[in-house]
Amino acid sequence: MTITFVKKILADGTPCPKCQDVEERLHKGGHWDAIDETLIADERDPQSPGMHLAARLGVTRAPFFVVREDTDSGVEEKVYTVYFKFQKEVLQQQTKGSDEAREILRDNPDLDFL
Amino acid sequence: MTQTADSANDRSPQAVLEDAFSRFAPDRIAISFSGAEDVVLIDMAAQLVDELQVFSLDTGRLHPETYTFIEQVREHYGVDIEVLMPDPEEVNEMVRKKGLFSFYRDGHQECCAIRKIQPLRKKLATLDAWITGQRRDQSVTRTEVPQWQDDQAFGTAERPLVKVNPLAGWSSAQVWQYIRNEQVPYNPLHDRGFLSIGCEPCTRAVGPHEHERAGRWWWEEATRKECGLHAENLAAETQSVRIIE
Repeated sequence: MTITFVKKILADGTPCPKCQDVEERLHKGGHWDAIDETLIADERDPQSPGMHLAARLGVTRAPFFVVREDTDSGVEEKVYTVYFKFQKEVLQQQTKGSDEAREILRDNPDLDFL
Repeated sequence: MTQTADSANDRSPQAVLEDAFSRFAPDRIAISFSGAEDVVLIDMAAQLVDELQVFSLDTGRLHPETYTFIEQVREHYGVDIEVLMPDPEEVNEMVRKKGLFSFYRDGHQECCAIRKIQPLRKKLATLDAWITGQRRDQSVTRTEVPQWQDDQAFGTAERPLVKVNPLAGWSSAQVWQYIRNEQVPYNPLHDRGFLSIGCEPCTRAVGPHEHERAGRWWWEEATRKECGLHAENLAAETQSVRIIE
C-alpha cells in the first residue's frame, strides 16, 4: 500500500489552512511516516503535481489522500477527501466526534443555516 | 436523487412537503426548526399531516426570545418539539480550555461542531429524511441549494439520507408575505432588525441595506471556501477510482 497526501496552495500563494491542520494532526498522531508521498496542488499552476493528480482522479477539494493497493485485478486507487474517514479506514485510528463534526462543518459551508 | 438548483422547475413548498411526507414514514422524517422564519414549514406541514416530527438545536446560547418562541410554536400548533442538546462533557472541555467566547478568536466552527453538528448528526442517524428552511437567497453558500438532495454531509452509501429544502426557491419577501397572510407566529427578534437568527453571541441586527447574513459571524469572511480546488483547473480525465467522501 502506498499513500499520497495532496495539499493545496491557495491562489493568493498562502497554504490552505485545512491542509496545514491535517498535516499537523498527522505529525501529532505519529502517522507522518505512513505517508509515502506529498504533492502540492498549487491553484496558480494547473500543471503542479497535485492539481494534475486531482484532475486525473476528478477530485475537487483538498487536502485529499490517494491510497494505492495491489490487488489480483491490478492496482486499486481509493481517494479520501474526508480526513476522519482516512484516519479510521486507513490509519485504523479512533476519531473524536468533535473533530469529525468540525470537518463536516468545514467541508459543507451551506450548513451555516443551522 | 439530488436535483439541480433551478428556480424555473421549483415546485411549491407545499407540493414538496406533500411529496416528502408521502415517501417517508412519519417516524423517519423530521423538520429542523431553528426558531426563526422557518416556522412557515411547520405551518405548512401541520396542514398536511397529523403526525409531525420537529426538532430544534438548543445550543445553550440562544436568545431568550428564541426559547420563548419555540414554546409558542409548540403550543400554537400542538406539536412536540424535540430539543437537541450538546454533550455536556464536550462543552465543558471546550469552555474550560478556551472560555465562553472562543469563537470570536478561533472562528465559530469548533463551537458549532460541538453545540450543533454533533447533536444533529446523532438525530439524523435515526432518520431517512430531514426538512430544512434553507433558501438560495440567504447566503453565498446556498445559491445552489435544490429543493431535494442526497445529503452528502450526514448520509452515507450504506445509510443514505435525503435533505428536503421546500423553501429553496423562495425569497425572504415571499416567506414574510406568507407569515403575514397566514398569521403565522414569528420570533420577535425579527421586528428588532434580526433577519437571521442563531446563537445570541453570534447574531446581531442588521441595517436596512445589509444582507441578512451580515448579522451572523460578522467577524469572519463569508465567502472563503478553503477546501475547494478551482474547477476550471480540474477537468477530470478519468473516474476510474473510488472516491470516499
